[in-house]
Amino acid sequence: MTTKTHRSPASEFRLLTMPLVVFLLVFLGFPAIVNLVYSVSSVSFETLRSPEITGFSNFVAVWNDGAFWQASWFSFRFGLLTALLECGLGLFLAIFLAPLIERRSWLMAILMLPLMVAPALVGLMYRLVLHEFAGPVPYYLWTWFGASLSFLGPGSAFWTLVTVETLQWTPFAFLLFYMAYQAIPREIIEASAMDGARYRHRLWYIELPLMAPTIVVALLIRFIDGFRVFDNVYVLTGSGPGGSTASLSIYIYEAFFKQGAIGKAVAASVVLFIASFVVLYGLNTIAARRKGAAR
Amino acid sequence: MTFARMKKGGLIAAAIATLLAGPAFAKVTVLGWPGGPEEAALRAAADTYNAKPDVSDDNKVELLFFNRDGFWDKLQADLAAGSTAFDVNLLATYSIGRYAPFMEPVELSGEAKVVYGDQVLTTMQYEGKQFGVPTDLSLHFMYYRKDLIDALLNDDGAKAKYAEIAEKHLGKKLEPKNPDEWTWDDYAATALYFTQAVNPDSPTRYGTVLQLKNLLFNMMVFQSLPRAYGGNWMDEAGKVTVDSEAYRKGLETYKMLYDAGATPRDSLSYEFAEANAAYASGQVAAMMQWNAAASELMSKDKSPTVGEVTEAIAPPAGPEGRFTHIHGLGFGLNKNAANKEGAKAFISWLSSKEAALVYARNSGAPALTPEVVKDVAAERPDLVKLGEFAGKYGYVMNGGTSAKALSVYELQAKEFTGYWSGQQSLDDALKNTEKGMAELLK
Repeated sequence: MTTKTHRSPASEFRLLTMPLVVFLLVFLGFPAIVNLVYSVSSVSFETLRSPEITGFSNFVAVWNDGAFWQASWFSFRFGLLTALLECGLGLFLAIFLAPLIERRSWLMAILMLPLMVAPALVGLMYRLVLHEFAGPVPYYLWTWFGASLSFLGPGSAFWTLVTVETLQWTPFAFLLFYMAYQAIPREIIEASAMDGARYRHRLWYIELPLMAPTIVVALLIRFIDGFRVFDNVYVLTGSGPGGSTASLSIYIYEAFFKQGAIGKAVAASVVLFIASFVVLYGLNTIAARRKGAAR
Repeated sequence: MTFARMKKGGLIAAAIATLLAGPAFAKVTVLGWPGGPEEAALRAAADTYNAKPDVSDDNKVELLFFNRDGFWDKLQADLAAGSTAFDVNLLATYSIGRYAPFMEPVELSGEAKVVYGDQVLTTMQYEGKQFGVPTDLSLHFMYYRKDLIDALLNDDGAKAKYAEIAEKHLGKKLEPKNPDEWTWDDYAATALYFTQAVNPDSPTRYGTVLQLKNLLFNMMVFQSLPRAYGGNWMDEAGKVTVDSEAYRKGLETYKMLYDAGATPRDSLSYEFAEANAAYASGQVAAMMQWNAAASELMSKDKSPTVGEVTEAIAPPAGPEGRFTHIHGLGFGLNKNAANKEGAKAFISWLSSKEAALVYARNSGAPALTPEVVKDVAAERPDLVKLGEFAGKYGYVMNGGTSAKALSVYELQAKEFTGYWSGQQSLDDALKNTEKGMAELLK
C-alpha cells in the first residue's frame, strides 16, 4: 500500500526554487558580499584574506579620480553611439533586404558571420588590417592617394573603435529586426495597401510601431554591450594615450591588476553596479506602467 | 558497506594519495616562463642538473609552466595564498618588490659575480638583498640602416640639408656622424632628415618609429633618453625627481619628433610588433628597440628589405653618458617551498658558470661577462653584445625593483602619452607623474 503525500503550494514553490536560490547565493551572492567588503577595505594581493575595513575612502578616491569620469564618459558615448548606429543600420538592412533574403536564405548565414568571431580576435584583426606597413587598407590608400588616414591616432581612434564595434554587432540588431519584421501579420500590410497607403506611410505608421518593442530591446542590449566594452578596445588601443580610450571595464581592470588598487577597482565596480541597477529598475518601471496603461 | 570494505577502500585511497603527493614533495619544482627560448633553455639546464651524480633523486628538478597571459598576476595570487605547488619561481626585475614578501633572499654560487658582473646582478636585487639568479636579460639596441647612414655621410649636399634641418628643428647646426658617436640630438636630427614630411627627398617615409602606446613596456624604451641627461626616478634620499630638466628634454624630444611626422601618426598605438613591422618595411631609418628584435630585424630571411643592412648598437649618449635600460628574468626561492634545501641547491648551481653556459647554448639570453661569454661567442655572437652593453651601459632606476615599479611605469605611460598626444601640457604631465609616483613609492 502506498501513501500519497500532499505538499502545500508554498512548500512546492520553495522546493522548486531552491536550486535557483542556491545557485544565486553561491555564484552571485558570495562574490557580491566579498566585493562589498573589499570596496570599504584597504586590501592588496597580500591581504586578500584579511582586508582592513577603512570606510568609504575607496569610493571617495573613485569619485575624485578624473580617470573614472573620463572612462565613464567614454563608455557612455561609445555605448550610445554604437547602439544607435547598429540599430539604425540593422533596421535599414532588415527592412530593405527582407525581400532578397526571403528568396536567398543563405545570405543570412553570410550576414551573421561577424557574430561568430570573438571580439578580441576582431580587435587583433583590425590591428593588422589598419597597420600602416602591414595592413591592406593603408596600403591601398598610400597607393591610390599617396597618403593614409591615421586610423588609431588621437583624433580618430574613437571613431575607428566605434566603426569596428558597429561592423561586428550590426548583424545582431539586424537579426532581431528581421525576425520582428517577418512577424508583422501580412494581412495588415495587405489591408493598408488596399486602403492606398504609400510605402513610407506603411513603414512609419504600421511597420515601425509594430517593431517598436523589438527596437527598444535591441537598443537597450546594444547600449549595455557597448557601455561595458573591453575586448576589442583593449586589443586595439589599450586605454589609449592619456587614457583617452579607457572604458569603465578597462578602468576597473587596470586599477585592479595593473595598479594593484583592489579596493578602488571594486568600489568602481560597485558604483557601476548601482548605476546599472538604477537604470534597469527605472526602465522596468516605465515598461510596467506602459503595460498597465495599455490594459 | 561492511567495515572490512570501508577499511580496504580507505587503504586504497591512502595509497593513491601517497603516490600522488609523494613525488611533489621529493622533487624541486621550478615554475618557468612558458614558450619561447626561455623554456627551451630552462629545460636544458634542468636536464643537465638532474644528470649530475651528486643530485639525489629527492632533489631532482621538475618543471612547471603557466600560460603567459596574466602570468604575473596569477603568480602573485599563488604566492600570496602561500602556494607550495612550486619551490622556485620566475621573477622579473620590475616585479621583485611585489613578490619579495613571499620569497626568501638567495645565496648564489661563488662564481656568480664572475659570470654576470655586479651590474647584471642588481637586476635581481631588492632592498640590497639578492632575490634571484638573472638568467635572461633584456635591454635596448639602436637599430639603424647602415646603407642610408653611409650614403648620408658620403654626400656633401645631403650633409648641408641635414645641417639646415637640424638648425630649423633643434636650433643648432649639426653634422652627420657615425651612429656610434651619436648624441640624442644627432638621433633626432637624423630622424628628421630621413622623414619625407620634413625632407621630401628622403628615401624613407619616416626617420624613426617611436612606440608610444599607453603601455608600461614602452616607457622602459623611453627611459634611456632622460637617463642620458641625468634623469632618475628618485634621488638617494628617496625623493621623486621626475619633474626634472632631464625628463623634460626626453619628453620634448619625443613630442617634437611626433609632431614633425618623423614617426608614423599611429605611433600612439604602436608597441613592439608594430614598430618592428614599420622598420622591417624599409620605410624607417633608425629606432630604439628591445634586443629580442635582433633576430628578426637582422635576418635577411625574416626581414628581406632591411635584414642585411641593419646594424645594432647601444642607444645614443647624453651629457651624462650612454645608457640602456636593463631588466631581467630570473629564478628565486618561494618562502613556502616544500623542498627548500633542494631549491637552494638548484638556485646556487643555476648561478654557476656551468649552468650559465648550458643556458646560453640552448637559446637563453643571459648577460655574461666578457671572460665567460667568450666560451659561447662562436655559437651565440648576439650574447657578446648583450653582455658588453649590459655591463657598460645598463642601469636600473632608483625604485625600479620596488613593489610598485610596474604601477610607476603604468602611471608614466598614461601621463606621458597624454602629453605626446596633445591632451595635456608638459608641466601637467610631469606634475601628475611626480605626484602619483610619490604616492606609489612612499
